[in-house]
Amino acid sequence: MPGLKIDHEKCTECRMCYVACREIDINAVVVSATSRHLLEIDDRCVYPKCTVCLMYCPAEGSIVDAVSGKSLVPPPPEVWTEHLRWPRVPAPR
Amino acid sequence: MQPILENFLAKWVYPVGFSGPGVDFRLRQTERCIPAWDKLVTMALNNAQADLQANGDDWKITRALAGYAAEGPFMSIKQMSTQILSVTIDDQPKYIDLQRMRARQIWDEVKHGQLHADVLLRGGWIQREEELMNNARANMQPKLSYFGMTAMFPHIHPLARAGQHYFNEAMACLGISATLSVIDDPLIRHQLRSQEAEEMMHFMEGKYQIDAYALTPENQKPIEEVFDFLLRPWAPEPSRALGGTS
Repeated sequence: MPGLKIDHEKCTECRMCYVACREIDINAVVVSATSRHLLEIDDRCVYPKCTVCLMYCPAEGSIVDAVSGKSLVPPPPEVWTEHLRWPRVPAPR
Repeated sequence: MQPILENFLAKWVYPVGFSGPGVDFRLRQTERCIPAWDKLVTMALNNAQADLQANGDDWKITRALAGYAAEGPFMSIKQMSTQILSVTIDDQPKYIDLQRMRARQIWDEVKHGQLHADVLLRGGWIQREEELMNNARANMQPKLSYFGMTAMFPHIHPLARAGQHYFNEAMACLGISATLSVIDDPLIRHQLRSQEAEEMMHFMEGKYQIDAYALTPENQKPIEEVFDFLLRPWAPEPSRALGGTS
């Protein structure tokens, strides 16, 4: 089970998480096979080793910890991962 | 510093998922922006208080017309469309997501224009949106903007828009927060609440573009030039709809 989950009651489907995740070659954010094309997070997600999507999500409460259900947007300081280097350095799997 | 700005910085500006030259550059530019952002919050709070004390509905009409001028068909459909053209075919592999983000933003701005029209319709101040096409106040924006009506051409560099996104969309978010903290009118609150999340998305576009793409002095230069322009004393004020005075 992926560590992160999208709360579709809060998500605005802006795709920032998709863009950021794909940029670092993790590709865990996918467009679901539904007519509404909702975004989902799949098993490729390496959270908490990577938290990049959380830093660009604009919709409060729309990405949550899949286990606890705790909102991670805006990202609390404990999930900041500024030790990772940009550009295009994938988090360790 | 205004608490609304402090809260915005802590929640949305400073969180980072990595470090690098783009992030360093963005945080340096942020320091330049903070005084202007702080001033905007104060202005938006004062303007909202003044609106509350005004008699009648003129202030609601003024806000909606200014918002429509800034985000109606002229700006949102025509001007916004040109920003995609700054990405050449050769640059497309590098900036494909940037193009997609901007395509999405055009639709967002169209909806924002509709929100302002809806305020005027629901308030009974117009009967049909078409009436706005002949209303100068719904079609003109007096302030200069780096990519305003004076810039109906493809942008000079694919990343230049990132500076505008970061600086101006933060202003929009802050102006909305400040206005919502004062004004309880349901029409105005509905319009601002609906717009709020997407303004934040546009700010995040700027944050992402700078962090991820502004990695060399060559790529930082066009963005820094936008900040240089927007931070001139006469440039930064947002539309009346979002807390400014014009």
